[in-house]
Amino acid sequence: MRTTSPDSQTGVFSRLPEWFNNWLGASGTSRMKREADASMQAAIAAVVEQEDEAPLAPLRTGREIESVVDEMLAQGRYALLLRPQLIGNLSPEQLARTRAALADGMGLVPEGFVTLRPPFTDESAGEAPPLRLEAYYLDRYPVTNSQYAHFVASGGYEQMQIWDPEIWAALLDFVDTTGHPGPRNWKNGRFPRGEEHHPVAGVCWYEAVAYARWIGKRLPSDAEWVKAGSWPVSIPGHPLLSRRYPWGEAMDRSRANLWGSGPGRTVSVFEFPSGVSVGGVHQLIGNVWEWTADAFNLNSTDAPASSVQTKMKSIRGGAFDTYLDGQATCQFQSADVALTRKHNIGFRCAIHLNDLADWREESADETEDNSFAENPS
Amino acid sequence: MNRGVALELDSLRLAHYGNQISCLICAEGNTPDAEYCRNCFAPMILAHQAQSHASKPVMFAALGPSGVGKTVYLGMLLDMLSRQPKHLQLAARGGFSVTLQHNTIGALSRCEFPTKTPNEPDRWNWVHCQLRSAKQKQPVEMVIPDMAGEALFEEVDHPHSYRVIHSLLSRCDGVMILIDGTKLQAGSLDEDYFTMKLLSHLTELTTDPKRPWSSRPVALIFSKADQCESCFEDPHAYAQRHAPGLSRICTQKFRRHRFFAAGVAGAIANRPVRGNPSHMVPLRVEPRGIIEPFEWLVDNLRG
Repeated sequence: MRTTSPDSQTGVFSRLPEWFNNWLGASGTSRMKREADASMQAAIAAVVEQEDEAPLAPLRTGREIESVVDEMLAQGRYALLLRPQLIGNLSPEQLARTRAALADGMGLVPEGFVTLRPPFTDESAGEAPPLRLEAYYLDRYPVTNSQYAHFVASGGYEQMQIWDPEIWAALLDFVDTTGHPGPRNWKNGRFPRGEEHHPVAGVCWYEAVAYARWIGKRLPSDAEWVKAGSWPVSIPGHPLLSRRYPWGEAMDRSRANLWGSGPGRTVSVFEFPSGVSVGGVHQLIGNVWEWTADAFNLNSTDAPASSVQTKMKSIRGGAFDTYLDGQATCQFQSADVALTRKHNIGFRCAIHLNDLADWREESADETEDNSFAENPS
Repeated sequence: MNRGVALELDSLRLAHYGNQISCLICAEGNTPDAEYCRNCFAPMILAHQAQSHASKPVMFAALGPSGVGKTVYLGMLLDMLSRQPKHLQLAARGGFSVTLQHNTIGALSRCEFPTKTPNEPDRWNWVHCQLRSAKQKQPVEMVIPDMAGEALFEEVDHPHSYRVIHSLLSRCDGVMILIDGTKLQAGSLDEDYFTMKLLSHLTELTTDPKRPWSSRPVALIFSKADQCESCFEDPHAYAQRHAPGLSRICTQKFRRHRFFAAGVAGAIANRPVRGNPSHMVPLRVEPRGIIEPFEWLVDNLRG
């Protein structure tokens, strides 16, 4: 039986239909899951507000839906359309286009184990116990300037429900060089000419989170980011076999935009294609560092337990100016202050496989099949 | 070996000892097998290696208070110039010349800063290298020491307390003066005063009248600029805003000076360790603005 989560009863989310809140209540218990649900809830709330301040009902049929779906697909918000709450509004043709957009935009990382090396340790220090992850999708490329421009143009910086309340006071500071809302290095709310396919940079962690919510996704956890790059293989009786770099064990600077191998600035996300991971995810190493959802733990293993919390968020993957090979590996973790907006930090998004309606339907089908097999009568 | 041969060798050795070698830094005579100059404690290997070239090596110095980042800056600069295949390349002369970059990069790759440079001159790292650039046909011999900030200011406050610093600054062809950009941004005037003291000291050094300090190139580098990004946008304006005294003395007394901004660590954090005071650590290495000041100095050599 489905229950309602306490989170869904408060704040801007209370405007959402009861069935939606009920669904959220049953959709998982883990912290990450709750956060993902909240972000999705906020994104759908934003869609609702953008329509006409009414619940989901105004999404009727015909041209209205078609134009909204087309607009959302053009904005790259396919993950939102594939949510169980919205997928029913799509025609078969729209559904096919949305699924194609998902396949083009995101790579599937199967469930399994991954190990994370703690910060300030080298490879000889050994690894932490393996973590088990459910299957998830990860963006094939870092979020680009042109993708982020959709968010800016649609008033993403004014949609308060997709921003963490703790950051509302700082929102007016998230402006470009001319004072318009947007990444730090933009001008007049626009990205530099010719850089539409460059990764968006100059955004803080909160901006990355807000964009991810708006688009119906979330930031990947550290473990998810590492698993997509190192692609661990689990053989019974052996430690996990993980790659040092997405392409293999040895550094090859021709496969990534790092110090000395590129022009010394960001390049298009479509460059350095040979650096692709096994799962088809590009530029995990080089070009820009990528924010992840997790906090950075500064403590060494022998530090007092009291000083755990920092305001730093984890970043991964190295950037165009990363100097040392050892800092451009799948395992290396760096960090920066969550509010910092640096020229070499961008992000990419993720989504749980089981947050998508298609997966739920398939799971339901499998359950039905199994129950039929168990009860042939 | 018979006795006659032994006497002959001893005589040769004595004759050899009679022919003293001048220290490259202070010009004091030293025995050929001296490891350090008996007067200033500079390594004598510099003088031995310099003998193989007709012209005297160019000397640059990185100056600034303790903790400003001189070792990190120099180590990073040397490593970048020895790695990059572009218009400015550096080749170490002798294994000792690689020690500074080795120590610096080794520490940074462990997410640590290099240990503090000791005050004793015989424990400093010296670099003797050859610089090749597209603009010059012949490689330029170059000597750069990594001096301790405390020793430097001891010499500034009490001239001749460190002979090696006095001699080096008298003979130096250009200096890179590092100023902590983050402290200036935080409103500290110490950096302004430190640098003004240093510049005043330079102008009062008795040097070659044909080559006064006012005509030698001085690169003023705001270090740790990765933590105060506005440094990078316009270092000169940053100097006028945050260090007006320094800006004025430069304009009045140094014909060839320029402000730069440089950063090595992309981010730093205060790391707690049980049993020890917490300390700052670099979270990654992203050199920025490192080569430009050096390149400018080279371009302005005797120009």
